[in-house]
Amino acid sequence: MGEILVVAEHRKQKLADVSFEMLAKGRQLADQSSSELAAVIIGSSVFDYATEISSWADKVLAVTDERMEGSLAEPCQKILSPIIKQRKPQLVLIGHSAFGMDLAPALAIELGVPLATDCTDIFMESASVRVRRSIYNGKIDAVFSFAPSETIMATLRPTQLPIEKGDRKGTIEEIDSPLTEEISYKRFEGYIEPETSEVDITESNVLVSIGRGIKNKENIAIAQQLADLIGGSVSCSRPIVDYGWLPSDRQVGLSGKVVKPKVYLALGVSGAFQHIAGMKASEIIVAVNKDPKAPIFSVADYGIVDDIAKVLPALIGEVGQAKG
Amino acid sequence: MDILVCVKRIPSTSESTDVVEIDDSQKGIKKEKLLFRINDWDEYALEEAVQIEERLGGTVTAITVGLEECDDILRKALAMGADQAIRIDQDISAVDSYVVAKILTPLIRTLPYDLILFGMQSGDFGWAQSGPMVAEMLGVPHATGITRLQLENNKEAKVGRELESGALELYTMELPAVLTIQTGINKPRYASFTSIRRARTRELKVTALRELGLSVDALAPLIRLEKLTLPSAGEVQIIPGSADEAAAQLVTILKGRGVL
Repeated sequence: MGEILVVAEHRKQKLADVSFEMLAKGRQLADQSSSELAAVIIGSSVFDYATEISSWADKVLAVTDERMEGSLAEPCQKILSPIIKQRKPQLVLIGHSAFGMDLAPALAIELGVPLATDCTDIFMESASVRVRRSIYNGKIDAVFSFAPSETIMATLRPTQLPIEKGDRKGTIEEIDSPLTEEISYKRFEGYIEPETSEVDITESNVLVSIGRGIKNKENIAIAQQLADLIGGSVSCSRPIVDYGWLPSDRQVGLSGKVVKPKVYLALGVSGAFQHIAGMKASEIIVAVNKDPKAPIFSVADYGIVDDIAKVLPALIGEVGQAKG
Repeated sequence: MDILVCVKRIPSTSESTDVVEIDDSQKGIKKEKLLFRINDWDEYALEEAVQIEERLGGTVTAITVGLEECDDILRKALAMGADQAIRIDQDISAVDSYVVAKILTPLIRTLPYDLILFGMQSGDFGWAQSGPMVAEMLGVPHATGITRLQLENNKEAKVGRELESGALELYTMELPAVLTIQTGINKPRYASFTSIRRARTRELKVTALRELGLSVDALAPLIRLEKLTLPSAGEVQIIPGSADEAAAQLVTILKGRGVL
Protein backbone atom coordinates (compact mmCIF):
# COMPACT_ATOMS: atom_id res chain seq x y z
CA MET A 1 0.00 0.00 0.00
CA GLY A 2 1.40 3.32 -1.04
CA GLU A 3 0.87 6.97 -0.31
CA ILE A 4 -0.26 9.98 -2.29
CA LEU A 5 1.23 13.23 -1.04
CA VAL A 6 -0.38 16.62 -1.68
CA VAL A 7 1.76 19.73 -1.25
CA ALA A 8 -0.69 22.38 -0.05
CA GLU A 9 0.03 26.09 -0.49
CA HIS A 10 -1.18 29.32 1.08
CA ARG A 11 -0.86 33.07 0.94
CA LYS A 12 -2.57 35.95 2.72
CA GLN A 13 -3.97 33.69 5.46
CA LYS A 14 -5.74 31.45 2.95
CA LEU A 15 -5.13 28.04 1.47
CA ALA A 16 -5.07 28.25 -2.33
CA ASP A 17 -8.13 26.86 -4.11
CA VAL A 18 -5.91 24.53 -6.12
CA SER A 19 -4.89 22.85 -2.85
CA PHE A 20 -8.52 21.83 -2.27
CA GLU A 21 -8.79 20.62 -5.86
CA MET A 22 -5.71 18.45 -5.30
CA LEU A 23 -6.98 17.16 -1.97
CA ALA A 24 -10.31 16.12 -3.48
CA LYS A 25 -8.61 14.46 -6.45
CA GLY A 26 -5.95 12.90 -4.21
CA ARG A 27 -8.68 11.47 -1.96
CA GLN A 28 -10.42 9.93 -4.96
CA LEU A 29 -7.18 8.39 -6.31
CA ALA A 30 -6.20 7.11 -2.88
CA ASP A 31 -9.56 5.39 -2.44
CA GLN A 32 -9.33 3.85 -5.91
CA SER A 33 -5.84 2.46 -5.32
CA SER A 34 -6.19 1.58 -1.60
CA SER A 35 -3.53 4.13 -0.72
CA GLU A 36 -3.30 6.68 2.03
CA LEU A 37 -3.63 10.38 1.34
CA ALA A 38 -1.06 12.54 3.08
CA ALA A 39 -0.65 16.29 2.75
CA VAL A 40 2.09 18.66 3.77
CA ILE A 41 1.64 22.32 4.66
CA ILE A 42 4.59 24.62 5.41
CA GLY A 43 4.28 28.09 6.91
CA SER A 44 4.63 30.41 9.88
CA SER A 45 1.32 29.36 11.43
CA VAL A 46 -0.16 26.24 9.91
CA PHE A 47 -2.39 24.62 12.52
CA ASP A 48 -5.66 26.01 11.14
CA TYR A 49 -4.68 25.01 7.62
CA ALA A 50 -3.77 21.53 8.84
CA THR A 51 -7.18 21.15 10.48
CA GLU A 52 -8.92 22.19 7.26
CA ILE A 53 -6.80 19.78 5.22
CA SER A 54 -7.47 16.87 7.59
CA SER A 55 -11.03 16.64 6.21
CA TRP A 56 -9.49 15.00 3.12
CA ALA A 57 -6.13 13.65 4.20
CA ASP A 58 -5.44 10.63 6.39
CA LYS A 59 -2.33 12.36 7.60
CA VAL A 60 -1.28 16.01 7.61
CA LEU A 61 2.36 16.98 8.04
CA ALA A 62 2.28 20.48 9.51
CA VAL A 63 5.71 22.09 9.19
CA THR A 64 6.15 25.34 11.09
CA ASP A 65 8.67 27.79 9.66
CA GLU A 66 8.43 31.31 11.08
CA ARG A 67 9.81 32.91 7.95
CA MET A 68 7.03 31.82 5.59
CA GLU A 69 3.90 33.95 5.76
CA GLY A 70 3.21 32.57 2.26
CA SER A 71 4.47 29.52 0.38
CA LEU A 72 8.01 30.07 -0.96
CA ALA A 73 9.54 27.59 -3.38
CA GLU A 74 13.19 27.53 -2.34
CA PRO A 75 12.82 26.82 1.39
CA CYS A 76 9.91 24.48 0.65
CA GLN A 77 12.12 22.45 -1.70
CA LYS A 78 14.67 22.05 1.09
CA ILE A 79 11.97 20.93 3.52
CA LEU A 80 10.08 18.67 1.10
CA SER A 81 13.00 16.84 -0.42
CA PRO A 82 13.96 14.84 2.73
CA ILE A 83 10.28 14.22 3.53
CA ILE A 84 9.68 12.71 0.07
CA LYS A 85 12.92 10.70 0.20
CA GLN A 86 11.89 9.23 3.50
CA ARG A 87 8.19 8.56 2.82
CA LYS A 88 8.59 7.48 -0.83
CA PRO A 89 5.03 8.41 -1.87
CA GLN A 90 3.93 6.84 -5.14
CA LEU A 91 2.54 10.17 -6.31
CA VAL A 92 3.26 13.79 -5.33
CA LEU A 93 0.69 16.43 -6.31
CA ILE A 94 1.62 20.12 -6.48
CA GLY A 95 -0.41 23.05 -7.85
CA HIS A 96 0.54 24.49 -11.23
CA SER A 97 0.54 27.87 -9.55
CA ALA A 98 3.26 30.50 -9.35
CA PHE A 99 4.51 28.57 -6.30
CA GLY A 100 4.35 25.15 -7.98
CA MET A 101 6.02 26.40 -11.15
CA ASP A 102 8.96 27.64 -9.10
CA LEU A 103 9.12 24.51 -6.97
CA ALA A 104 8.25 21.36 -8.89
CA PRO A 105 10.82 21.19 -11.75
CA ALA A 106 13.81 21.74 -9.47
CA LEU A 107 12.43 19.34 -6.84
CA ALA A 108 11.87 16.67 -9.50
CA ILE A 109 15.48 16.97 -10.70
CA GLU A 110 16.81 16.90 -7.15
CA LEU A 111 14.84 13.72 -6.43
CA GLY A 112 15.32 12.19 -9.89
CA VAL A 113 11.61 11.58 -10.45
CA PRO A 114 9.40 12.05 -13.54
CA LEU A 115 7.34 15.25 -13.53
CA ALA A 116 4.28 16.16 -15.60
CA THR A 117 3.27 19.80 -15.19
CA ASP A 118 0.09 21.77 -15.88
CA CYS A 119 -2.19 18.73 -15.91
CA THR A 120 -5.93 19.28 -16.28
CA ASP A 121 -6.72 15.83 -14.90
CA ILE A 122 -5.00 12.79 -13.44
CA PHE A 123 -6.45 9.30 -13.51
CA MET A 124 -5.69 5.58 -13.34
CA GLU A 125 -5.68 3.46 -16.47
CA SER A 126 -4.96 -0.25 -16.03
CA ALA A 127 -3.10 0.38 -12.76
CA SER A 128 -0.95 3.15 -14.23
CA VAL A 129 -1.24 6.85 -13.61
CA ARG A 130 -2.07 8.99 -16.64
CA VAL A 131 -2.42 12.75 -16.94
CA ARG A 132 -4.38 14.86 -19.34
CA ARG A 133 -3.01 18.17 -20.58
CA SER A 134 -4.20 20.92 -22.87
CA ILE A 135 -1.60 21.87 -25.49
CA TYR A 136 -1.17 24.04 -28.61
CA ASN A 137 -3.18 26.97 -27.25
CA GLY A 138 -6.02 24.78 -26.05
CA LYS A 139 -6.58 23.30 -29.51
CA ILE A 140 -5.44 19.77 -28.64
CA ASP A 141 -5.81 17.54 -25.57
CA ALA A 142 -3.05 15.08 -24.77
CA VAL A 143 -2.68 12.06 -22.48
CA PHE A 144 0.76 11.34 -21.02
CA SER A 145 2.20 8.45 -19.00
CA PHE A 146 5.21 8.29 -16.68
CA ALA A 147 8.36 6.19 -16.92
CA PRO A 148 8.36 3.55 -14.15
CA SER A 149 9.52 5.15 -10.91
CA GLU A 150 9.01 4.64 -7.19
CA THR A 151 7.71 8.20 -6.99
CA ILE A 152 6.13 10.28 -9.72
CA MET A 153 5.16 13.93 -9.56
CA ALA A 154 2.45 16.01 -11.22
CA THR A 155 1.34 19.62 -11.01
CA LEU A 156 -2.35 20.36 -11.52
CA ARG A 157 -3.69 23.37 -13.42
CA PRO A 158 -5.90 25.46 -11.10
CA THR A 159 -9.69 25.67 -11.60
CA GLN A 160 -10.00 22.42 -13.58
CA LEU A 161 -11.29 19.98 -10.96
CA PRO A 162 -14.34 19.93 -8.68
CA ILE A 163 -13.80 20.33 -4.94
CA GLU A 164 -15.80 17.54 -3.37
CA LYS A 165 -16.07 17.97 0.39
CA GLY A 166 -13.87 15.77 2.52
CA ASP A 167 -15.35 13.49 5.20
CA ARG A 168 -12.19 12.37 6.98
CA LYS A 169 -10.65 13.34 10.23
CA GLY A 170 -6.99 12.71 9.56
CA THR A 171 -4.23 12.94 12.09
CA ILE A 172 -1.94 15.96 12.27
CA GLU A 173 1.75 15.52 12.81
CA GLU A 174 3.56 18.70 13.80
CA ILE A 175 7.10 19.09 12.54
CA ASP A 176 9.58 21.88 13.26
CA SER A 177 11.24 23.23 10.16
CA PRO A 178 14.64 21.60 9.67
CA LEU A 179 15.86 24.80 8.03
CA THR A 180 18.15 26.75 10.29
CA GLU A 181 19.87 29.25 7.99
CA GLU A 182 18.60 31.98 5.73
CA ILE A 183 18.84 31.14 2.04
CA SER A 184 21.36 33.78 1.00
CA TYR A 185 21.36 33.13 -2.74
CA LYS A 186 17.62 33.80 -3.11
CA ARG A 187 16.53 36.24 -0.42
CA PHE A 188 12.81 36.82 -0.09
CA GLU A 189 12.16 40.57 0.13
CA GLY A 190 8.39 40.66 0.50
CA TYR A 191 5.25 40.97 -1.59
CA ILE A 192 3.80 43.83 -3.59
CA GLU A 193 0.02 43.75 -3.70
CA PRO A 194 -1.80 45.22 -6.71
CA GLU A 195 -2.96 48.81 -6.25
CA THR A 196 -6.64 49.59 -5.85
CA SER A 197 -8.26 50.47 -9.12
CA GLU A 198 -10.14 53.44 -10.51
CA VAL A 199 -12.59 51.15 -12.32
CA ASP A 200 -13.40 47.95 -10.46
CA ILE A 201 -14.30 45.43 -13.17
CA THR A 202 -15.48 42.93 -10.54
CA GLU A 203 -18.36 45.30 -9.74
CA SER A 204 -19.66 45.53 -13.32
CA ASN A 205 -22.86 43.80 -14.46
CA VAL A 206 -21.72 43.79 -18.05
CA LEU A 207 -18.13 43.44 -19.23
CA VAL A 208 -17.04 44.17 -22.77
CA SER A 209 -13.79 42.25 -22.72
CA ILE A 210 -11.23 42.65 -25.48
CA GLY A 211 -8.36 40.46 -26.57
CA ARG A 212 -5.66 40.39 -29.23
CA GLY A 213 -8.35 40.38 -31.93
CA ILE A 214 -8.96 44.07 -31.27
CA LYS A 215 -5.83 44.60 -33.45
CA ASN A 216 -4.95 48.17 -32.48
CA LYS A 217 -5.18 50.50 -29.53
CA GLU A 218 -7.54 52.93 -31.26
CA ASN A 219 -10.28 50.27 -31.42
CA ILE A 220 -10.48 50.20 -27.62
CA ALA A 221 -12.49 53.44 -27.82
CA ILE A 222 -15.11 51.55 -29.88
CA ALA A 223 -15.31 48.83 -27.24
CA GLN A 224 -15.68 51.57 -24.63
CA GLN A 225 -18.52 53.09 -26.68
CA LEU A 226 -20.38 49.75 -26.56
CA ALA A 227 -19.70 49.41 -22.83
CA ASP A 228 -21.06 52.94 -22.22
CA LEU A 229 -24.21 52.17 -24.21
CA ILE A 230 -25.03 49.08 -22.14
CA GLY A 231 -23.84 50.46 -18.83
CA GLY A 232 -20.82 48.18 -18.53
CA SER A 233 -17.05 48.42 -18.34
CA VAL A 234 -14.20 47.42 -20.60
CA SER A 235 -11.97 44.59 -19.41
CA CYS A 236 -9.32 42.63 -21.31
CA SER A 237 -7.09 39.59 -21.63
CA ARG A 238 -3.38 39.52 -20.85
CA PRO A 239 -1.91 40.57 -24.23
CA ILE A 240 -3.74 43.91 -24.06
CA VAL A 241 -1.99 44.69 -20.77
CA ASP A 242 1.33 43.35 -22.11
CA TYR A 243 1.05 45.79 -25.05
CA GLY A 244 0.41 48.60 -22.57
CA TRP A 245 -3.02 49.39 -24.10
CA LEU A 246 -4.94 49.05 -20.83
CA PRO A 247 -3.80 49.11 -17.19
CA SER A 248 -3.39 45.77 -15.40
CA ASP A 249 -6.45 46.38 -13.19
CA ARG A 250 -8.59 45.69 -16.30
CA GLN A 251 -7.11 42.22 -16.80
CA VAL A 252 -9.41 39.23 -16.34
CA GLY A 253 -7.76 35.95 -15.39
CA LEU A 254 -5.74 34.11 -12.77
CA SER A 255 -2.99 36.74 -12.77
CA GLY A 256 -5.60 39.51 -12.95
CA LYS A 257 -9.14 39.54 -11.61
CA VAL A 258 -11.81 36.89 -11.29
CA VAL A 259 -15.14 38.31 -12.51
CA LYS A 260 -18.75 37.08 -12.49
CA PRO A 261 -20.85 39.65 -14.40
CA LYS A 262 -24.35 39.00 -15.73
CA VAL A 263 -23.02 39.31 -19.27
CA TYR A 264 -19.46 38.73 -20.40
CA LEU A 265 -18.84 39.77 -23.99
CA ALA A 266 -15.49 38.33 -25.09
CA LEU A 267 -14.40 40.18 -28.22
CA GLY A 268 -11.36 38.78 -29.99
CA VAL A 269 -10.31 36.88 -26.87
CA SER A 270 -8.90 33.45 -27.80
CA GLY A 271 -9.40 32.05 -24.31
CA ALA A 272 -6.12 31.02 -22.72
CA PHE A 273 -6.96 28.93 -19.64
CA GLN A 274 -5.72 31.67 -17.30
CA HIS A 275 -8.32 33.96 -18.85
CA ILE A 276 -11.14 31.41 -18.87
CA ALA A 277 -10.48 30.63 -15.20
CA GLY A 278 -11.17 34.29 -14.45
CA MET A 279 -14.54 34.57 -16.22
CA LYS A 280 -16.17 31.17 -16.61
CA ALA A 281 -18.53 31.78 -13.67
CA SER A 282 -20.18 34.68 -15.56
CA GLU A 283 -23.94 34.26 -16.01
CA ILE A 284 -24.10 34.67 -19.79
CA ILE A 285 -20.96 34.39 -21.90
CA VAL A 286 -20.86 35.65 -25.48
CA ALA A 287 -17.77 35.04 -27.60
CA VAL A 288 -16.96 36.78 -30.85
CA ASN A 289 -13.90 35.43 -32.63
CA LYS A 290 -12.73 34.81 -36.17
CA ASP A 291 -11.33 31.44 -35.16
CA PRO A 292 -14.10 28.84 -34.68
CA LYS A 293 -11.58 26.66 -32.82
CA ALA A 294 -10.69 29.34 -30.27
CA PRO A 295 -11.01 27.77 -26.77
CA ILE A 296 -13.21 30.68 -25.61
CA PHE A 297 -16.15 29.06 -27.46
CA SER A 298 -15.91 26.01 -25.17
CA VAL A 299 -17.22 28.09 -22.25
CA ALA A 300 -19.50 30.45 -24.21
CA ASP A 301 -23.31 30.32 -24.27
CA TYR A 302 -23.52 32.24 -27.54
CA GLY A 303 -20.92 32.60 -30.23
CA ILE A 304 -20.39 34.64 -33.36
CA VAL A 305 -17.64 33.45 -35.67
CA ASP A 306 -16.56 36.66 -37.35
CA ASP A 307 -14.12 39.53 -37.22
CA ILE A 308 -14.82 41.85 -34.29
CA ALA A 309 -13.97 44.78 -36.57
CA LYS A 310 -17.34 44.03 -38.21
CA VAL A 311 -19.33 42.74 -35.25
CA LEU A 312 -18.43 45.50 -32.79
CA PRO A 313 -19.88 48.41 -34.87
CA ALA A 314 -22.91 46.26 -35.74
CA LEU A 315 -23.50 45.63 -32.03
CA ILE A 316 -23.23 49.34 -31.25
CA GLY A 317 -25.82 50.04 -33.94
CA GLU A 318 -28.21 47.35 -32.69
CA VAL A 319 -27.88 48.22 -29.01
CA GLY A 320 -28.34 51.89 -29.85
CA GLN A 321 -31.56 51.07 -31.69
CA ALA A 322 -32.81 48.75 -28.97
CA LYS A 323 -32.30 51.49 -26.42
CA GLY A 324 -34.09 54.00 -28.68
CA MET B 1 27.59 40.65 -18.05
CA ASP B 2 27.40 37.46 -20.13
CA ILE B 3 23.83 36.37 -20.78
CA LEU B 4 22.57 33.13 -22.30
CA VAL B 5 19.05 32.99 -23.68
CA CYS B 6 17.51 29.59 -24.42
CA VAL B 7 14.93 29.78 -27.19
CA LYS B 8 12.55 27.37 -28.91
CA ARG B 9 10.93 27.15 -32.31
CA ILE B 10 7.22 26.36 -32.10
CA PRO B 11 4.31 26.07 -34.51
CA SER B 12 1.87 28.97 -34.53
CA THR B 13 -1.46 27.61 -33.29
CA SER B 14 -3.15 30.72 -31.91
CA GLU B 15 -4.48 32.33 -35.10
CA SER B 16 -7.73 31.60 -36.94
CA THR B 17 -5.64 30.78 -40.03
CA ASP B 18 -3.60 28.11 -38.21
CA VAL B 19 -4.76 24.62 -39.14
CA VAL B 20 -4.17 22.37 -36.13
CA GLU B 21 -4.89 18.74 -37.01
CA ILE B 22 -3.87 15.46 -35.42
CA ASP B 23 -1.81 13.19 -37.67
CA ASP B 24 -2.45 9.48 -38.29
CA SER B 25 -0.14 8.31 -35.50
CA GLN B 26 -2.37 10.24 -33.04
CA LYS B 27 0.86 11.35 -31.38
CA GLY B 28 1.60 14.47 -33.37
CA ILE B 29 0.01 17.27 -35.32
CA LYS B 30 0.30 17.78 -39.06
CA LYS B 31 3.31 20.03 -39.38
CA GLU B 32 3.10 20.70 -43.14
CA LYS B 33 0.27 23.18 -42.84
CA LEU B 34 1.70 25.14 -39.94
CA LEU B 35 3.86 28.23 -39.73
CA PHE B 36 6.74 28.12 -37.25
CA ARG B 37 8.16 30.96 -35.21
CA ILE B 38 10.06 31.75 -32.05
CA ASN B 39 8.15 31.07 -28.83
CA ASP B 40 6.46 34.30 -27.61
CA TRP B 41 7.92 34.15 -24.10
CA ASP B 42 11.44 33.67 -25.53
CA GLU B 43 11.11 36.91 -27.46
CA TYR B 44 10.57 38.76 -24.17
CA ALA B 45 13.60 36.93 -22.71
CA LEU B 46 15.76 37.96 -25.67
CA GLU B 47 14.60 41.56 -25.49
CA GLU B 48 15.40 41.65 -21.77
CA ALA B 49 18.89 40.26 -22.43
CA VAL B 50 19.61 42.74 -25.21
CA GLN B 51 18.42 45.67 -23.06
CA ILE B 52 20.71 44.56 -20.21
CA GLU B 53 23.64 44.27 -22.61
CA GLU B 54 22.93 47.75 -23.99
CA ARG B 55 23.03 49.14 -20.46
CA LEU B 56 25.80 47.14 -18.81
CA GLY B 57 27.83 45.73 -21.73
CA GLY B 58 28.81 42.09 -22.16
CA THR B 59 27.50 39.42 -24.49
CA VAL B 60 24.18 37.82 -25.39
CA THR B 61 24.21 34.25 -26.70
CA ALA B 62 21.07 32.58 -28.04
CA ILE B 63 20.87 28.81 -27.71
CA THR B 64 18.42 26.32 -29.13
CA VAL B 65 18.11 22.56 -29.49
CA GLY B 66 16.73 21.26 -32.77
CA LEU B 67 17.36 20.43 -36.40
CA GLU B 68 18.48 22.82 -39.13
CA GLU B 69 14.96 24.21 -39.52
CA CYS B 70 15.51 25.98 -36.17
CA ASP B 71 18.19 28.25 -37.65
CA ASP B 72 15.48 30.77 -38.53
CA ILE B 73 14.77 31.60 -34.88
CA LEU B 74 18.49 31.90 -34.15
CA ARG B 75 18.75 34.41 -37.00
CA LYS B 76 15.80 36.23 -35.48
CA ALA B 77 17.70 36.32 -32.16
CA LEU B 78 20.76 37.74 -33.94
CA ALA B 79 18.58 40.33 -35.69
CA MET B 80 17.17 41.36 -32.31
CA GLY B 81 20.69 41.94 -31.02
CA ALA B 82 22.22 38.67 -29.83
CA ASP B 83 25.99 38.48 -30.43
CA GLN B 84 26.17 34.81 -31.23
CA ALA B 85 23.87 31.84 -31.64
CA ILE B 86 24.40 28.15 -30.98
CA ARG B 87 22.26 25.24 -32.09
CA ILE B 88 22.56 21.76 -30.59
CA ASP B 89 21.72 19.54 -33.52
CA GLN B 90 19.19 17.14 -32.04
CA ASP B 91 15.52 16.53 -32.78
CA ILE B 92 13.56 17.14 -29.58
CA SER B 93 10.04 16.75 -30.94
CA ALA B 94 9.50 13.46 -29.08
CA VAL B 95 11.21 14.18 -25.76
CA ASP B 96 10.21 15.87 -22.52
CA SER B 97 11.62 18.95 -20.79
CA TYR B 98 13.86 16.78 -18.63
CA VAL B 99 15.72 15.57 -21.73
CA VAL B 100 15.92 19.11 -23.13
CA ALA B 101 17.44 20.29 -19.84
CA LYS B 102 19.88 17.36 -19.95
CA ILE B 103 20.97 18.41 -23.45
CA LEU B 104 21.30 22.12 -22.64
CA THR B 105 23.21 21.77 -19.38
CA PRO B 106 26.53 20.37 -20.70
CA LEU B 107 26.67 23.07 -23.41
CA ILE B 108 25.97 25.81 -20.87
CA ARG B 109 28.79 24.46 -18.68
CA THR B 110 31.25 25.22 -21.49
CA LEU B 111 30.13 28.87 -21.81
CA PRO B 112 30.77 31.90 -19.62
CA TYR B 113 27.54 33.18 -18.04
CA ASP B 114 26.27 35.51 -15.33
CA LEU B 115 22.61 35.16 -16.20
CA ILE B 116 20.59 32.53 -18.07
CA LEU B 117 17.17 33.52 -19.36
CA PHE B 118 14.37 31.28 -20.61
CA GLY B 119 10.82 32.06 -21.64
CA MET B 120 8.50 31.14 -18.75
CA GLN B 121 6.80 28.48 -20.87
CA SER B 122 6.34 27.56 -24.51
CA GLY B 123 3.26 28.08 -26.64
CA ASP B 124 3.24 24.48 -27.88
CA PHE B 125 3.44 22.06 -24.92
CA GLY B 126 3.69 24.63 -22.15
CA TRP B 127 5.45 22.48 -19.55
CA ALA B 128 7.32 25.44 -18.00
CA GLN B 129 10.06 23.08 -16.81
CA SER B 130 13.32 23.42 -18.72
CA GLY B 131 14.52 26.67 -17.09
CA PRO B 132 14.28 25.61 -13.44
CA MET B 133 15.50 22.10 -14.38
CA VAL B 134 18.66 23.48 -15.98
CA ALA B 135 19.20 25.64 -12.88
CA GLU B 136 18.97 22.60 -10.62
CA MET B 137 21.32 20.60 -12.86
CA LEU B 138 23.85 23.47 -12.86
CA GLY B 139 23.40 24.07 -9.14
CA VAL B 140 22.51 27.76 -9.52
CA PRO B 141 19.47 29.59 -8.12
CA HIS B 142 16.39 30.20 -10.24
CA ALA B 143 13.16 32.15 -10.21
CA THR B 144 10.25 31.74 -12.62
CA GLY B 145 7.63 34.05 -14.10
CA ILE B 146 9.72 37.21 -13.84
CA THR B 147 7.96 40.49 -14.67
CA ARG B 148 10.48 42.77 -12.99
CA LEU B 149 14.26 42.60 -13.25
CA GLN B 150 16.77 45.11 -11.88
CA LEU B 151 20.47 44.60 -12.41
CA GLU B 152 23.34 46.88 -11.51
CA ASN B 153 26.26 44.47 -11.71
CA ASN B 154 27.05 40.80 -12.21
CA LYS B 155 26.82 39.97 -8.52
CA GLU B 156 23.09 40.12 -7.81
CA ALA B 157 19.68 40.77 -9.33
CA LYS B 158 16.49 42.13 -7.84
CA VAL B 159 13.53 40.32 -9.34
CA GLY B 160 9.75 40.31 -9.09
CA ARG B 161 7.80 37.11 -9.81
CA GLU B 162 4.20 37.32 -10.86
CA LEU B 163 1.79 35.61 -8.47
CA GLU B 164 -1.94 35.03 -8.77
CA SER B 165 -4.23 38.10 -8.68
CA GLY B 166 -1.52 40.47 -9.89
CA ALA B 167 0.66 40.36 -6.76
CA LEU B 168 4.45 40.20 -6.97
CA GLU B 169 6.95 38.14 -4.95
CA LEU B 170 10.27 39.97 -4.60
CA TYR B 171 13.71 38.42 -4.29
CA THR B 172 17.33 39.41 -4.32
CA MET B 173 19.20 36.67 -6.17
CA GLU B 174 22.89 35.93 -6.29
CA LEU B 175 24.31 35.56 -9.79
CA PRO B 176 24.76 33.47 -11.80
CA ALA B 177 21.10 32.55 -11.83
CA VAL B 178 18.42 31.21 -14.15
CA LEU B 179 15.35 33.41 -14.63
CA THR B 180 12.28 32.53 -16.68
CA ILE B 181 10.61 35.55 -18.22
CA GLN B 182 6.88 36.26 -18.29
CA THR B 183 5.32 38.28 -21.11
CA GLY B 184 4.78 42.00 -20.53
CA ILE B 185 8.16 42.58 -18.83
CA ASN B 186 9.23 44.70 -21.83
CA LYS B 187 8.23 45.49 -25.41
CA PRO B 188 10.16 43.16 -27.74
CA ARG B 189 11.67 45.19 -30.57
CA TYR B 190 10.94 44.71 -34.23
CA ALA B 191 14.20 43.83 -35.88
CA SER B 192 15.06 46.34 -38.58
CA PHE B 193 15.30 45.26 -42.20
CA THR B 194 19.07 45.87 -42.15
CA SER B 195 19.60 43.80 -39.02
CA ILE B 196 17.51 40.94 -40.45
CA ARG B 197 19.56 41.05 -43.63
CA ARG B 198 22.79 41.16 -41.70
CA ALA B 199 21.70 38.21 -39.53
CA ARG B 200 21.08 36.14 -42.65
CA THR B 201 24.78 35.90 -43.42
CA ARG B 202 26.09 35.54 -39.86
CA GLU B 203 27.65 32.27 -38.85
CA LEU B 204 25.67 30.04 -36.50
CA LYS B 205 27.54 27.60 -34.30
CA VAL B 206 26.25 24.07 -34.54
CA THR B 207 27.22 21.39 -32.07
CA ALA B 208 26.30 17.72 -31.72
CA LEU B 209 25.38 15.55 -28.75
CA ARG B 210 28.65 13.62 -28.81
CA GLU B 211 30.65 16.86 -28.62
CA LEU B 212 28.78 17.48 -25.37
CA GLY B 213 29.57 14.00 -24.10
CA LEU B 214 25.98 12.84 -24.50
CA SER B 215 24.77 9.69 -26.20
CA VAL B 216 21.33 9.29 -27.72
CA ASP B 217 20.36 6.48 -25.31
CA ALA B 218 20.88 8.79 -22.33
CA LEU B 219 17.96 10.75 -23.66
CA ALA B 220 15.00 8.54 -22.80
CA PRO B 221 12.12 10.79 -21.72
CA LEU B 222 10.48 10.29 -18.32
CA ILE B 223 7.13 11.59 -19.55
CA ARG B 224 5.63 9.87 -22.59
CA LEU B 225 2.95 11.04 -24.93
CA GLU B 226 0.22 8.42 -25.27
CA LYS B 227 -2.44 10.03 -27.38
CA LEU B 228 -3.75 13.28 -28.78
CA THR B 229 -7.46 14.08 -29.02
CA LEU B 230 -9.55 17.09 -29.95
CA PRO B 231 -11.09 18.94 -27.00
CA SER B 232 -14.85 18.77 -26.62
CA ALA B 233 -16.69 21.66 -28.22
CA GLY B 234 -18.80 22.74 -25.25
CA GLU B 235 -22.44 23.79 -25.61
CA VAL B 236 -22.10 27.07 -27.42
CA GLN B 237 -24.97 28.23 -29.63
CA ILE B 238 -23.34 29.72 -32.71
CA ILE B 239 -25.36 32.61 -34.15
CA PRO B 240 -25.20 32.40 -37.94
CA GLY B 241 -25.44 35.08 -40.61
CA SER B 242 -23.56 38.23 -41.52
CA ALA B 243 -22.05 40.41 -38.81
CA ASP B 244 -25.12 42.68 -38.90
CA GLU B 245 -27.57 39.77 -38.75
CA ALA B 246 -25.68 38.03 -35.97
CA ALA B 247 -25.40 41.25 -33.96
CA ALA B 248 -29.17 41.88 -34.31
CA GLN B 249 -29.93 38.30 -33.28
CA LEU B 250 -27.60 38.52 -30.27
CA VAL B 251 -29.21 41.75 -29.04
CA THR B 252 -32.66 40.10 -29.35
CA ILE B 253 -31.44 37.10 -27.33
CA LEU B 254 -29.90 39.27 -24.61
CA LYS B 255 -33.04 41.44 -24.40
CA GLY B 256 -35.11 38.26 -24.16
CA ARG B 257 -33.00 37.18 -21.22
CA GLY B 258 -33.59 40.52 -19.57
CA VAL B 259 -29.99 41.66 -19.52
CA LEU B 260 -30.11 44.61 -21.89
